[in-house]
Amino acid sequence: MSNNDSLSNDKKLDRRDFFRKTAALSATALAGTSIFADDDAIMKTPEWATKWGDPVTTNLYGIPSAYEHNVTRRSTELLSSGNFRASIAVTPIHESKGIITPNGLFFSRSHGGTAHIDPEEYRLMIHGLVEKPIVLTLAQLKRYPSVTRIHFIECPANGGQEWRATQFNSVQFAKGFMASAEWTGVYIKTILDDLGIKPEAQWMLAEGGDSSKMGRTVPMDKVLDDAMIVWGQNGEALRPEQGYPVRLLLPGWEGNLCVKWLRRLEFAAEPWYCKEETSKYTALKPSGKAIQHFYANEVNSTVVSPSPEIPWTDLPDGAVVEIEGLAWSGMGTITGVDFSLDGGRTYVQAELKGLVLPKSWTRWSYMHTYKKGDKLLLTSRAMDDAGFIQPTIDEETSVMGVESVYHRNAVETWEVTENGEVNHVQIRS
Amino acid sequence: MFKLDRKLILSASVFTAAALFVAGCAGGGLGFSNSNTAHAKPSIDGGVFYPVVNGKTGPYLVDRVAAPMKINHGRIPTENELKAWDTDVMPDGTGLPEGHGNASEGSDIYDAKCGSCHGDFGAGGAGYPSLAKGNAYSMMETLKSQRSEEGAEGPNRVFGVYWPQASTLWWYIKDAMPHQATGTLTEDEVYALTAYILKLNEIKIDGVLVDDDYELDREKFLKIVMPNKDGFEPKIDGPNSLPGVRAYYANPANYGAIKVKPSERCMKDCQKPTVKNVYVTNGGIKDFVPPMATAKDLPKVESKEFNAAKSYEENCAMCHANKSMGAPAIGDAKAWAAVNKKGMDAVYKNGIEGINGMPAKGGANLSDAEFKLIVDYIVNLSK
Repeated sequence: MSNNDSLSNDKKLDRRDFFRKTAALSATALAGTSIFADDDAIMKTPEWATKWGDPVTTNLYGIPSAYEHNVTRRSTELLSSGNFRASIAVTPIHESKGIITPNGLFFSRSHGGTAHIDPEEYRLMIHGLVEKPIVLTLAQLKRYPSVTRIHFIECPANGGQEWRATQFNSVQFAKGFMASAEWTGVYIKTILDDLGIKPEAQWMLAEGGDSSKMGRTVPMDKVLDDAMIVWGQNGEALRPEQGYPVRLLLPGWEGNLCVKWLRRLEFAAEPWYCKEETSKYTALKPSGKAIQHFYANEVNSTVVSPSPEIPWTDLPDGAVVEIEGLAWSGMGTITGVDFSLDGGRTYVQAELKGLVLPKSWTRWSYMHTYKKGDKLLLTSRAMDDAGFIQPTIDEETSVMGVESVYHRNAVETWEVTENGEVNHVQIRS
Repeated sequence: MFKLDRKLILSASVFTAAALFVAGCAGGGLGFSNSNTAHAKPSIDGGVFYPVVNGKTGPYLVDRVAAPMKINHGRIPTENELKAWDTDVMPDGTGLPEGHGNASEGSDIYDAKCGSCHGDFGAGGAGYPSLAKGNAYSMMETLKSQRSEEGAEGPNRVFGVYWPQASTLWWYIKDAMPHQATGTLTEDEVYALTAYILKLNEIKIDGVLVDDDYELDREKFLKIVMPNKDGFEPKIDGPNSLPGVRAYYANPANYGAIKVKPSERCMKDCQKPTVKNVYVTNGGIKDFVPPMATAKDLPKVESKEFNAAKSYEENCAMCHANKSMGAPAIGDAKAWAAVNKKGMDAVYKNGIEGINGMPAKGGANLSDAEFKLIVDYIVNLSK
């Protein structure tokens, strides 16, 4: 109306003139058909608008829209060990929404393939340095009072292929060795209330019942804190890929420690030296010494939108666009995320969004006005309530070298080119 | 009482042990904290410990009725049940059964059951780890190698060079090998295979080099000192190791982490002038399965029919793609002529039941009919 207002002020038009003029303007606007072609999506009537849809009895366990078929976990030959049976399929975090990953997209790692366990034949054995060893059926386990928590699980090799340089021009592969869910189960300390733990117990062995018998040693600190035995994920039973019917959940700690297809917990005074806590999941430093029992995934973050997968090539000049990312820490709660458009030379604070929970994905946002042709370097840097901040690549490699494989949490940078393409880069000196 | 404003959660006999872990909670959790975000003490991992304060742990409400209740589900396992599942082997020999075997026997078992994946002499194969790279003691120096520069050799992390305990190997072979048929080796076979792998790594036991005739048994096994026994930190052995682990993770400098007061973090001029962008070279790794795509469209309708070529790639190519794994390679007319001489019924049968290093159906989950289609596919391409 401001144009019309100024028109009426300047020319002192009477009401009749005014309406005549605006009617003419409207006619011109309608004549806009010569500028914009009719949109077929509006003008043509699609089949779904007139024909019956599926009966409600179709897909009684729902499946995603067929149009979403490209939103899947993916693997690569590099990670295909054991004919894809000692391997990993990673989460499409470029398509992630909020802080919950759908169960079908939750990253999947196994050491002997995905086992399919009959829940009627499932047993959990707890023994060793306890006053009373026990065997539980699944039904008995589920009768314990349940606890529900939102936590991410991250493979400590997330980003571990890129200590020396970027190798993946993809956020799914560079950062998707993780996912986040709402888990339901029981605290192990609740079960230990019944059993009584002997004073000399320092360690717990958690072992899977799949063909790989994957085992890990867990210190009692974690067992008596927030360690859980879980059977529920996002409101349903665990998927086979997540250890159906039961897995261990050690909030914030290496995904590998969250043993799937869990069948046995044993308590002892000495640690076990399992295969996956010696040959792998140990971080070799330049001194030649390796960190073992490297428990928590440290504070971390990344931009997830835009991404090499879904870039800004179709973004018009002047568009106001939301840059979104994830931040997470296995050592506490995210307290803030700093964001940089110049690769980490200058930072401003990004906005945290939604629920901010301990040891959970946390979503952050930065609103940006896009200028076509601008070259940008998008870098994020998260902090947690334990006081940690993400290091630069130089800072992290100066201590850890480039051969440690695991626990890489230096800041990530995503380049936006003049054409709006997005590339994974590293800022190094 | 102590521990998270619940009633005493463990039996009295446990009090001392529990106090070791949660000491400070009672005072810390209930004394210091006035808010839900306050934490009494660091966690063992260097992070935050969230005590229960005013009925909440962090942002979560705790069920104050359920938490202190005794539940008592389940039953005590039988001796036999414990024996069946408690098969782990610890460094001090706990769980290690009697038995014996030598490297020469181990070599034969290896060639029959392991070599198809791990390669000749443990050299490794496509997607399967190598088990030895020669003399382990002389390779120790490589653990300090860093491939920061082009062409530099990386550290050698095979069993003999890197693993701190031999018990890990014995236990892993017994419970988790061969990969497609785990738990099928006898104790003597595991001793023999262990002797063979020790031999490939040129390990000495009590000053004696493990050679073909070295008869490994439980007593000798427990004398093995792995070259890299002391190569790991923090220390986890001994009756009071947990305080050491806590201390290790309380120091961020040990593991490349950085703590900073939020008010003191760098917001401007945070980089050296020498920084540069490092790009993915040559397109990087992009053999994704399935290929990367983001279109929102309808999927191409895949044929419901069994696709032998696709199944071959998924299940057989690892060993049959070329000669290196010892299996007759696809396209090798000479090798397949020798196989086919037995007649197709025998070829099918051998494949379905397994032959030499090949497990039944190559370890694939296929019907006999599907498996035969793959055999036909390979044979047709190998004429």
